[in-house]
Amino acid sequence: MAAITLRDIEKRYDDTLVLRDCNLDIADREFVVLVGPSGSGKTTLLRIIAGLERTSGGEILFDGARVNDVDVGDRDIAMVFQNYGLYPHMSVYDNMAFGLRRRKLAPADIDDRVRRTARMLAIESLLARRPRQLSGGQRQRVALGRAIVRDPAVFLLDEPLSNLDAHLRVQMRAEILKVHRAVTATAVYVTHDQVEALTMGDRIVVMNAGRIHQVGTPAELYDAPVDRFVASFIGTPAMGFIDCERRANGDRAELATSSARITLGEVQAQALSCANAGNVTVGIRPECLSVASERDAAAADVAVRGTVQVVEMLGAEHYVHVATEGGSLTARVPRHQRLRVDETVTFVASSRDVHLFDRETGRALR
Amino acid sequence: MMDAAADRRGGTRRTARVVQYVAIALALVWSLAPVYWMLATSFKTELEAARLAPTPWPLRPTLDNYRGLFGGSLPFLAFFVNTVVTCLATAIVAVIIATPAAYALSRARFRLRAATGYAMLVFRMLPLVVLLAPLYLLLLNARLLDTHTGLVVGFATFGLPFAVWMLKSFVDAVPIEVEEAARVDGYRRWQILFRVVVPLILPGLLTTGTFVFMEAWNNLIYPLTFVTTLEKQTLPAALVLTFTGQFKTDWGGMMAAATLTTLPLMIAFFAVQRSMVRGLTSGAVAGA
Amino acid sequence: MRVALAGNSRRPAARTAERIPWFDTMVLPSAGVLAIVVGYPVVYTLVLSAEDYNLIGTTPPRFVGGDNFAKLVHDPTFWQALGNTLVYTFGSVAIAALLGLALALLTERASGRAGRIVRALLLTPWAVPFVVVAFLFRYMYLQNGGAINALLLAAGVIDTPISWLNVASLALPAVMVTNVWAMTPFFFLLLAAALAGIPNEVIESARVDRARGWSLVVGIKLPFLRNALLVGCLLMIIANFNDFAKIWAMTQGGPGYATTTLVVYVYRQAFESFAIGYASAIGVVWLALLLVFAFAYLRALRVR
Repeated sequence: MAAITLRDIEKRYDDTLVLRDCNLDIADREFVVLVGPSGSGKTTLLRIIAGLERTSGGEILFDGARVNDVDVGDRDIAMVFQNYGLYPHMSVYDNMAFGLRRRKLAPADIDDRVRRTARMLAIESLLARRPRQLSGGQRQRVALGRAIVRDPAVFLLDEPLSNLDAHLRVQMRAEILKVHRAVTATAVYVTHDQVEALTMGDRIVVMNAGRIHQVGTPAELYDAPVDRFVASFIGTPAMGFIDCERRANGDRAELATSSARITLGEVQAQALSCANAGNVTVGIRPECLSVASERDAAAADVAVRGTVQVVEMLGAEHYVHVATEGGSLTARVPRHQRLRVDETVTFVASSRDVHLFDRETGRALR
Repeated sequence: MMDAAADRRGGTRRTARVVQYVAIALALVWSLAPVYWMLATSFKTELEAARLAPTPWPLRPTLDNYRGLFGGSLPFLAFFVNTVVTCLATAIVAVIIATPAAYALSRARFRLRAATGYAMLVFRMLPLVVLLAPLYLLLLNARLLDTHTGLVVGFATFGLPFAVWMLKSFVDAVPIEVEEAARVDGYRRWQILFRVVVPLILPGLLTTGTFVFMEAWNNLIYPLTFVTTLEKQTLPAALVLTFTGQFKTDWGGMMAAATLTTLPLMIAFFAVQRSMVRGLTSGAVAGA
Repeated sequence: MRVALAGNSRRPAARTAERIPWFDTMVLPSAGVLAIVVGYPVVYTLVLSAEDYNLIGTTPPRFVGGDNFAKLVHDPTFWQALGNTLVYTFGSVAIAALLGLALALLTERASGRAGRIVRALLLTPWAVPFVVVAFLFRYMYLQNGGAINALLLAAGVIDTPISWLNVASLALPAVMVTNVWAMTPFFFLLLAAALAGIPNEVIESARVDRARGWSLVVGIKLPFLRNALLVGCLLMIIANFNDFAKIWAMTQGGPGYATTTLVVYVYRQAFESFAIGYASAIGVVWLALLLVFAFAYLRALRVR
């Protein structure tokens, strides 16, 4: 049990700054996911929480107490590594018992804990085996077991599922959440896979280039991304963007390109007028776009005409990538609507589904 | 036309094959003939071994040469034991001392790390003979001259830097996550070294030890200089020292002694043959 | 993607400077031992090289500055030993490297059990102790009853047996042949491993480009072997500079000074003439020479 607070965390290697201004509050027993592209600093941040890396600046607090100088072994954390980091020369049983022995627990107590944990993870039958005799999924379970058998206050996972095949990954996601519910630890989970982040996290921390961009629940991130990076990173297929000009159309605020017309709702118009930005980028999620005839388009809030570049067949639906003046969009189109490459199509959307970003800073206008 | 061309190509290919096999056969003869000659001579009588027209194989094979080694006036068994003891001691001591250093050079962060690594590498290249005189005086003052301990100290000058570099390459191959897992489990550096790293590089320790053993076994200049009593001498030095005496014309006895000197090295060699390249170029692959 | 350090807008006060220690306790045992058995002798050699110090002399060591080095310059034997060392080292290494390369290419496709056995047999000379190699060849080089003379006579190459190791012009080449025999397996193994390490796609795409036979070897394989060859040569050059056992057990540097290399000369000066000071001076010169190679070696490593 521990609440974790990160204050102005900064990390540099030589003269390269890999983390900066990282501030984060993680509540006790929360399941927080750090997500970002490779090189975003998410793993470094996790390792700093673990104590495997020292910070170059800032403070880490566990339940309000500064732990910067507390060694990793004394922080009461457990960690699951990307490549599991199992002790190759020990049996599964010893892998799990190794940390407990260090804590000088009674052998009977150790035995009890190891067996109980093994039962929970359905690896009882593997206890005598060596890691190399296990499959990827089994190793993953052992790594989980080794982490939770110690009943740590903080449970850290560094891309634990990246070595598993797609099917097993979905299964282990549920397993990890189940384990988290069963123990009383605060969990911090690192992944580059935004689907994993959305499905698992109580809250998600989106990172890029050494900074925290946004912290929020999955719904918050999806519905109200704070900037263009978060908007494009969260959601598959990714949000499409078009650079637009501002135009007045009577009393309504309107954005346009030569082939797009976007009428804004009141709140959005207000946000737009508050921002001094003349250059605006409009973002629209693929599922918000639908194909329309020219006549329907005239009546819609948002209408965009473009040329089909690529059509991806996904079974029940198609992803259609469309190039238009000022950018490109992706749309999810039902299977029966056949579109061909190079065809010109018009898509419509509701003004509610339009995200506005300052073209220079990338910040959301709200 | 086409057929003829294909035929010709097939023909050249066959010729090339034959040339290749002949070349390999020659190479085998070149590599093995001297060793065969050593073995064959060791089973010849003293007279036969000294014949002006050498016999291609022992006409009357005899074990007299081997018997003579152990029953003769020279303490051959003592030479053998001396060599095994000093070389083994060098290997064990070098590996024990080198292991923590190799671990630190591989994993720890300290300012003099690169410098230390380079120093080890340069030490390894130092001509032993340059160290000879000062080392002689050092051992003299430490009263270690003419002792096996002194000889082991001498062997350490090349065995230790080598062991450090070679072991480092083994430590480098241990996944860092395994060590980090042990850190998370609460273990300290020395505990991790002994409870996690050492068990994982056990084959590396054995291989390294064998290499050091072999190099010590091959060494002539140190025993020749630091050991003055014949009874305490190692095999290579004893061969050199006694050749002027007992073996002057007794080539059969000489080759029997040579065979027995080769045997342990041969066994050690084929035990570590797989990692031979790694051993001899260690330090060459992973920079400091 | 990494973030570049952004000017001086950071707040240095919030930073806990990371303290990196100078040294690590785990290195201490090794460093300590080596400081005594290698570091100290090296320094001592430098001191001795400036002294007139005779081990059995009655006069105590006396500081003579650069006298030993001055003597060195006018010592013809030193120059001969230096020349012998260079010929012995570069000659044997070059030949052994070429032979090793040839063997590696020859046996490249030999697979399966037979291949493994052939390879192991070709390595055998490596497993023979230097001193044994020396005596073995000494025996084979004998004028009367030597296998080599017998073979050459039978083949009609020579008319009368030759005393290989006792003729000044033949002794050094004879010792070098011995050395090549002992060293070739090293290059063979090193280059065979490097050959096996060439990615298959490279060879295959070269084949597609119609490279075969000789052009495949020269154009594709050799460049891949360059590094292994370089490292191997440097290691063996250093090893041969220091080679004592083979020469000493075969000829003790004779006849005359025909096979006296620097090691042998230093050894003789120090432990037969007991001129420790002078021997140390030779050692220092030679150390400098060797360091040049050591640095070339380290440079080569860094380039890799």
